[in-house]
Amino acid sequence: MSAARGTGAERRLALLLCAPAAAFMLVVAAFPIVYALWLSLHRADMRAPDQTAFIGFGNYLTVLSSPIWWDAFGVTLFVTVVSTLLELILGMALALVMHRTIVARGLVRTVALIPYGLVTVVAAFSLRYAWTQHTGWLAGASAPLTQTWSSIAIIVLAEVWKTTPFMALLLLAGLVLVPQDVLNAASMDGATSWQRFRRITLPLMKPAILVAVLFRAIDAFRIFDNIYVLTNGAHGTASVSIVAYNNLIRGLNLGIGSTLSVLIVIAIALIAFLLSRLLRSDAPDAPRAWRQR
Amino acid sequence: MKRRPCVSVLVLLGSWLATITACAPVPDGIVLGLYKYQENYFDEVLARCNAEAAGRYTIEQHILPRDADGQREQLVRRLAARDQTMDIVGLDVTWIAEFAEAGWILPWTGADSMAAVEDMLPGPLATMTWQDTVFAVAANTNVQLLWYRTDLVPEPPQTWDEMLVMADSLAAAGKPHVIAFTGAQYEGLVVGFNTLLESYGGSLLSEDGTESAVDERTVQALALLQRFATSAGASPAVGNAHEAEAQAQMENGYAAFQLNWPYVWAAMQVNNPAMMDVFAFTHYPAVVPGRPARVTTGGLDYAVGAYSRYPELAREAILCLRSRENQKFMTLNAGTPPTFRSLYDDPELQAAYPMLDVIQDQLEHAVPRPRTPFYQNVSTVVSHVLSPLRQIEPEATARELDERIQDALESRGLLP
Amino acid sequence: MTQRTTRRHVGWALIDLLVVAYALVPVLWIVSLSLKSNETMTDGRFFPRDPTLRHYVDILNDGAFLRPLLNSIGIALISTVIAVVIGGLAAYAIARLEFPGRKTLVGAALLIAIFPQIALVTPLFRIEIALGLFDTWPGLILPYVTFALPLAIYALAAFFRELPRELEKAALMDGATPFQAFRYVIVPLAMPGVVTTSILVFIFCWNDFLFAISLTSTTASRTVPAALAFFTGSSQFEDPTGSIAAAAVVITIPIVLFVLFFQRRIVAGLTSGAVKG
Repeated sequence: MSAARGTGAERRLALLLCAPAAAFMLVVAAFPIVYALWLSLHRADMRAPDQTAFIGFGNYLTVLSSPIWWDAFGVTLFVTVVSTLLELILGMALALVMHRTIVARGLVRTVALIPYGLVTVVAAFSLRYAWTQHTGWLAGASAPLTQTWSSIAIIVLAEVWKTTPFMALLLLAGLVLVPQDVLNAASMDGATSWQRFRRITLPLMKPAILVAVLFRAIDAFRIFDNIYVLTNGAHGTASVSIVAYNNLIRGLNLGIGSTLSVLIVIAIALIAFLLSRLLRSDAPDAPRAWRQR
Repeated sequence: MKRRPCVSVLVLLGSWLATITACAPVPDGIVLGLYKYQENYFDEVLARCNAEAAGRYTIEQHILPRDADGQREQLVRRLAARDQTMDIVGLDVTWIAEFAEAGWILPWTGADSMAAVEDMLPGPLATMTWQDTVFAVAANTNVQLLWYRTDLVPEPPQTWDEMLVMADSLAAAGKPHVIAFTGAQYEGLVVGFNTLLESYGGSLLSEDGTESAVDERTVQALALLQRFATSAGASPAVGNAHEAEAQAQMENGYAAFQLNWPYVWAAMQVNNPAMMDVFAFTHYPAVVPGRPARVTTGGLDYAVGAYSRYPELAREAILCLRSRENQKFMTLNAGTPPTFRSLYDDPELQAAYPMLDVIQDQLEHAVPRPRTPFYQNVSTVVSHVLSPLRQIEPEATARELDERIQDALESRGLLP
Repeated sequence: MTQRTTRRHVGWALIDLLVVAYALVPVLWIVSLSLKSNETMTDGRFFPRDPTLRHYVDILNDGAFLRPLLNSIGIALISTVIAVVIGGLAAYAIARLEFPGRKTLVGAALLIAIFPQIALVTPLFRIEIALGLFDTWPGLILPYVTFALPLAIYALAAFFRELPRELEKAALMDGATPFQAFRYVIVPLAMPGVVTTSILVFIFCWNDFLFAISLTSTTASRTVPAALAFFTGSSQFEDPTGSIAAAAVVITIPIVLFVLFFQRRIVAGLTSGAVKG
């Protein structure tokens, strides 16, 4: 039975608890975000600040009608979907190993996190080194980093290797909260380990899975470092962040750069919305039905 | 009990760190901020100029990131925010027009301007001005040379076509045959292409830098580039090769030729001294027989920040930092080619720097990259259109270049 | 019986080996690069021909690396503590309480997580210059906390949600205030989630490059990832690969220690006693 919702005490407590976080987010991020939104509606070049002019949705039209944007969007979407899926599967496997292994558990957990702890640009650079002909040990007679699909494969490899531990860690923390007694009860009822996993563990882990996949997809869509180091977006491997960087920092085009950023936000928000629907986390009490038996 | 070792370790660590990272004494009096990437041996030059200043001012260096793009990012962000501490900035030669047009660096006039241009070779001189005003002072310069292996190539090629033929025959004989070239999608490719194009007499932009100047000579240059990329001389990895990769191809014995900056000479002495016996250099190959190549210059220029509080002192400091003696010192130690014509006859430099004559020769015909405030846009677009090298179709690519360069100059559309 | 246990041990050991191989082969390559002399750097071999510790000696003697290391440790630790604490408080409110503006807060957090940081750097730069925070520790701590908060809030809220409501209700019925219920019942049980979030936030702050390079100017506050961009090679065109690799290895060590220490706290599930009654 639930207490009356939104009581005065609850509300006061909630506001108190949320105030510090809200303050941080408001003070630091509000102005820059609003400024970026404002800039996206203007023609603005960093070299000529006094020539800034309002052009409404002109920038959006330019970007959305440019094949450069759509090519990058396609590449980014592909890399996001493929790497997130791979990482979910590998991450879950890794989480299970980290949870259940009976040999050197502490060592395995620590070692498994090292890829995520490495500085991304160095990891990417070492991978580029390894795959470059004549300097590395992985390149054979071909040069995979000079062709589109082999480059994308290496980029996905770099992403998956690096951030699977991120997924694994979030999934692990969700995994350990699955109550052992429920699993024991099911096992005594004759459920196989796969059935226990599918029917009990996975549903109970839904909140953790949602957070892991959501944040991973958000970060994957904004992939930058790996591509920048491995190919710098050459040969059709540019992501939307690389295009944004080139226009904002190299081209000093504040208007277009901000527009690209806003469009990236919209794209990710759509993805986040779809994911929330897909992995809809039911009311927190529902899975407890198991326990009531 | 467990805490004590922890605490003592922390204390030791803390005191060690404190000693290592102790703050440098703060100079009193006028401090000129010099913003430049960290160059080896430059501290000596800095010390000399501070001694010469005799207390009137002290130059303090703030180092910028190692890569050119990173330097530009820092400089642009801070100059656009009207940073007053930026008195002297070290600029890559391609940024002068942009910074001058944006009002981020100050023009030089009168006697200072005369002092700045005196005895400068034409190559570096061209990088110092924008719209007939001096905006920066050349500190060093750079041109690419043709490097080759005498054991594979007894007589160096005079033209690109000769070089391609030689590479083919070497390949047929199963010997190292690669022509190491910086063909990745980045500035290095634009440098290489600019050299080819200017050697044909063409140019990427019009004289005033406002229009694309793509014509049949561009088509010729593209055709040559495409011939190279599909020949035996081009490594499969040419599409991802920066200077370091080109250098490695030569040092590791895969290349017979290399088109690269002079730093590879000193690098080879360190990395593969055994190959020094057969490592030789000559002029950059011509594209038209009989007409010397017009090589693209690189290099560093100093300029005065527009919001500096001490522009006069900054100018004085700059002239010292790049004085004849200091340039000679840097050439002898760091290996960067000097910009004073008279230094090229200096016997000490001649002895230590065997490439000096070839470099001076090339500097007499050298060309800067297109001078326009939108050079970054142009460069991004050109390297994008040219990649991948193998898929260049001279006529069609030239048309695409024309369109894209014009868009880039007018900041129209997206940069790839 | 013992035979089956041994088989299980061997089985898990093999699986562990796979995991270690997956994680460490590229890391070994970086370690190898850090041990290769400059001359043999590009020889294309996995193992160095004549390993040398020169790169490590070089960077550990260099104030331009050690001060950034100190900055990294301090800034990342402080940011992590702040982000996890205030993120945890907000996450509890979001997971358990009903209040107006709950959806807005969650949405705002998501927006901040999503917005490409590259577009926010220049305005942040200008603000910090105006406020005198440029090139200071708070100048990095404030953005780090802000951009780590969404992950902290979402992750901790998810973990709080996994805990059954009966726990707090039991505590409340025993006479505890909501805050006491939170502090003494929920937090200990949510330790796995808190530790996980701390590790992830720490790594985010530790490895950030964009803010570090844009909001700092000197070694007063520059962190290690940014400091890597200032390492110099023998010439303008040569990357100091060995030094960078050595630096990368060195700065991974604190993370390894951090994780090694905290991973014990990610303990297995709830004991049955806590749930009943």
